[in-house]
Amino acid sequence: MLLDFALPAHDRKLIPEGRLSGPMPWVIAIMLFLTLLIAAMGLSLAYAIRNGGDDLAQQATVQIIEPDPIERATQKVAVSRVLRELPEIADVNSVPDGEVRNLLKPWLGNDVIDADIPVPALIDIRFKKAPDGATIRALKRRLEPVAPKIRIDSHSSWMAPFFDLMSSLIFLTFAIFLLLLIATSAVVILAVRSTLNTHRGTIEIMHMMGGTDLQAARLFQRRVALDALLGGVVGFGAAAAVILTLGGRIAAVEPALLADASLPWYGWLILAIIPLAVMGLAMLMARWTVVSALKKML
Amino acid sequence: MSFLRAGYLACPPCIWRVFELMQSVVEFDNVGLRYGTGAETLTDLSFTLYPGSFYFLTGASGAGKTSLLKLLYLAHRPSRGAIRMFGHDAITLPRDRLPGFRRRIGVVFQDFRLVPHLSTFDNIALPLRIAGIQEKDLRSPVTEMLDWIGLTERADARPATLSGGEQQRVAIARAVIGRPEMLVADEPTGNVDPEMARRLLQLFAALNKLGTTVVVATHDIHLLQEIEGAQMMRLDKGRLSDPTGSLRHPPRPLVLKN
Ligand SMILES: Nc1ncnc2c1ncn2[C@@H]1O[C@H](COP(=O)(O)OP(=O)(O)OP(=O)(O)O)[C@@H](O)[C@H]1O
Ligand SMILES: [Mg+2]
Repeated sequence: MLLDFALPAHDRKLIPEGRLSGPMPWVIAIMLFLTLLIAAMGLSLAYAIRNGGDDLAQQATVQIIEPDPIERATQKVAVSRVLRELPEIADVNSVPDGEVRNLLKPWLGNDVIDADIPVPALIDIRFKKAPDGATIRALKRRLEPVAPKIRIDSHSSWMAPFFDLMSSLIFLTFAIFLLLLIATSAVVILAVRSTLNTHRGTIEIMHMMGGTDLQAARLFQRRVALDALLGGVVGFGAAAAVILTLGGRIAAVEPALLADASLPWYGWLILAIIPLAVMGLAMLMARWTVVSALKKML
Repeated sequence: MSFLRAGYLACPPCIWRVFELMQSVVEFDNVGLRYGTGAETLTDLSFTLYPGSFYFLTGASGAGKTSLLKLLYLAHRPSRGAIRMFGHDAITLPRDRLPGFRRRIGVVFQDFRLVPHLSTFDNIALPLRIAGIQEKDLRSPVTEMLDWIGLTERADARPATLSGGEQQRVAIARAVIGRPEMLVADEPTGNVDPEMARRLLQLFAALNKLGTTVVVATHDIHLLQEIEGAQMMRLDKGRLSDPTGSLRHPPRPLVLKN
């Protein structure tokens, strides 16, 4: 009943076809464009945080800060062995000393590094699931007998401010999205009223000739739905173009921190539902407006 | 005038028509109409309209002719009194049954009320389309009607591009195309020359011969001569000054057609 597009041809001729009723489709298009962009942004961020964030939060770095190189090497091997035996750890990757020195070069300069300056031994580990503070402390206690001068940095601790910022952004995006959706609905409601005013005479004439409320509502609903559909298609098309272009640019950005900030397939699904929902709202509003206007007439 | 036969598509069997002809089309009993809180615009109206009769409604400007016609075409409910229409109590009729009644009544509005974005053809076809008549069945009656009112060349024109008289002819064509059981016309010849007025009145007469009850509100006393057997109702400040039927012509005897 709601999606009454299949009107018989002669019914369609009751209200003129093929003319856009003023600015309504374009305003809807603009509103939908903004709504969809914001929605896409929120969805991508949330997706990136959930994927990349989980991954980062599972990782930690073990440092052995032992000045004696021989002792440090022995401890590194021992610690690695212990770590590999722990069930909560998925992956242990002992970083070779040469690589550590390379990492430090930009900060300390070639000369200093070439000298026999002590650098900590590094072991990258990945937990099966993101560790909390207690897990890290327990691991430290477990490793201290093997290597007393040990430090464990979980990535989630230094990533925390970043994640806090991201969740605030996602929240903000969601709030803006809701506001835009409300504004879009208001635009639709106003547009329906103005379309009704344009066609009020016609609807009254049909009414006096024995047209039923339902006949008028159906025609009018169709008219409004076509406007909303046009606005929806234009708005969605423009938003999709922007999202795809931006997606390409983001993928090209180094470091790959943002690499996961692309829209997942179900994101597109959600984006496609929004214009349809707005169209449904427009049709419901149209029906309600016409029927309540006609109810005032005998 | 075979286009008038388009209405037969929805016509009940002859026996039913004979039965219908024996009852009244409209009965007013002590009807009063008041707009808002002012004085009564129509007062103490009691009269009966019979099937197949032709009525002229005259009266000074502001006497309440349009108001009375609005009661007849079910655009208003009276403030008091009783109205029976086609054998039903029109006052207590539920709202969702009104469309069915309205489709039995053709209306020529004083201000035409053509649909501005529809062509002449589509305006005339409007009642048939509302009644759900198929496109293939309405093309020939509408074309013939266009020919009769002399607007074949203007079939695709919008109302705004038609002259006042042409718009009036379209409004009349739209009112009669569905061959209504009752035709209500408010000043239908106000904007046309005497020749066209006579022609349009012939259209009403032809419809009347097929059984339609016709009520024409007019200032034009010359029109009254045109229809033999027509009866006159005169409104004077909202009252029927001649409600008993001592009419200009003696009442036409009830003829059962078919
Ligand atoms: N909708 C309305 N609200 C209030 N008063 C109205 C309304 N319609 C008509 N009237 C008043 O009722 C009276 C009768 O009006 P009506 O239109 O029935 O007259 P009429 O006989 O058709 O006049 P005319 O010959 O000029 O068309 C007038 O005084 C008019 O001002
Ligand atoms: Mg009038």
